[in-house]
Amino acid sequence: MQEIIATLDHIRRSVPQIREELGVDPIPVGAIRDPAVYELEKERIFKKVWLKVATAWELPNPGDYKVKELPVADTSILIVRAKDGRIRAYHNVCTHRGNKVVPNKGFETFGRARANVVTCRFHGWVFSTDGALKSVPMEDAFGHLDKACLGLREIACDEWEGFVFVNFDLEPAQSLRDYLGDFATLFGGYPYRESTTAFRYSTVLKCNWKVALYAFSEGYHVPTIHAGSLPGFRGIEHSDFKLIGPHASSTIYGAGMDTAPSTGIFAGVLHGSDSHAPRPDLLPADINPKRRGDFQFELPNIFPNLLIHLASGCGYPGLSYFTHQFWPLDHGTTLWEGINYFRPAANAAEYAAQVHINALHRNAWLEDTATMEDTFTGIMSGAIDDMQLMDQEFLIRHAALTLNSYLAGDTQ
Amino acid sequence: MTTADPILLPAAFADLAPLAARWARPTENERNAVRYAATAGEFAAFHEALLPRLDALLTYLRDCPPHPEDPAQQNALMLACAYAEAAPHHELYGGSSEVPFSFDARRFVADHGDEALSG
Repeated sequence: MQEIIATLDHIRRSVPQIREELGVDPIPVGAIRDPAVYELEKERIFKKVWLKVATAWELPNPGDYKVKELPVADTSILIVRAKDGRIRAYHNVCTHRGNKVVPNKGFETFGRARANVVTCRFHGWVFSTDGALKSVPMEDAFGHLDKACLGLREIACDEWEGFVFVNFDLEPAQSLRDYLGDFATLFGGYPYRESTTAFRYSTVLKCNWKVALYAFSEGYHVPTIHAGSLPGFRGIEHSDFKLIGPHASSTIYGAGMDTAPSTGIFAGVLHGSDSHAPRPDLLPADINPKRRGDFQFELPNIFPNLLIHLASGCGYPGLSYFTHQFWPLDHGTTLWEGINYFRPAANAAEYAAQVHINALHRNAWLEDTATMEDTFTGIMSGAIDDMQLMDQEFLIRHAALTLNSYLAGDTQ
Repeated sequence: MTTADPILLPAAFADLAPLAARWARPTENERNAVRYAATAGEFAAFHEALLPRLDALLTYLRDCPPHPEDPAQQNALMLACAYAEAAPHHELYGGSSEVPFSFDARRFVADHGDEALSG
């Protein structure tokens, strides 16, 4: 039997401890309702803390880049794997007169920098993927131009387990590793980078970003919202609560449900494959430390806007993990991104089975997202001033308290 | 996107050609469009024809690459993927082409939505 050595007992909390530490009072909805709070969030949170913007496997080769539009930071960014293999991030802004260096379509645009340079289409200024300004057409006509000072404006960028984060602070108060803290240990060591088959969905929701984040941050809604997609559901246990500085986590265990005949056959393909079968042994030691057989996935909240649900094939068949991210576009508009990650299919049968599981999970997300605009409309109506939160909604309570702490300037 | 003839299937599944013509499409977005327009009766007929053959179809596909070049293999995969996405509408959603009580699926953007299944 595998010996599990858990080392993070100090982050674990019982329900009484959660109630004692975070309280049981209703949480005001003012931070969701008030547009002025959003302006503070931009300055004190989104321009100060580490934000996940890419994965290393999206940019496998030198020259591969991604442009990501981030209205919450008032910018467009260029994330690129430079010639030396390192992933760097820059403001996607030409140092000549401010044009976008790499034009984009939509919120994310991928491409390849030929010869490891990108060229602004406005006047042809050429930048190396390491940021340096390489050449300027008619340079002599500028009289004086200090090219050494006119490289792309770099943004702090670092990786954890292949997830690429940026920090817009010119001098970040913490390294990425320090910011993630015990979360990096709790979720560290899983082979995320092996699960390169991604089914990514996005939509623009007419709600404040926290409404969308909170809707995905608890298991209380599962028996009701997902009655359609999870038939014969025999209940879940949402437990193993953990508090990790600005982050938090918890575990979803499940008592199972009725499996539709088609799902049983598709699942059999994945469960019969070494690559896609449940692999509880790959879970980090502090996640499901008792290795319970009914483990579904670990549900964390990585402040401010990222969820990584780690399943290792134990929940939805073959599903390695899935992520959610919530990008404010303005106070009342949010870009939601949901990504299902599988290990690559070895044959067409495995691929078809992944399509089935992905469809089931996408459909559950359609059930989740159905509530968000209505919830925001309700909060904006002024009819309620508080949220009533039960134990399984502690991630929301913790995120709301953490947010208040950052807005008050109590946290770096 | 592939232009493979949707009625060309491996011999063992040749009788499913009419269903393939009705449902099999190379991309998720195209399969979604077919699904959004389907009736409860069509979902039921697809399910009743495919479920008894699903084991055999997946056994065949196990010997095919995940994104095949061969037109018959491509069509078999398209048919399996179409059923993979359509089956819940019969088995879980009472024949509705929408997920009941859900967000408008047409507002979900799939990054891979226009990627074909071919190699």
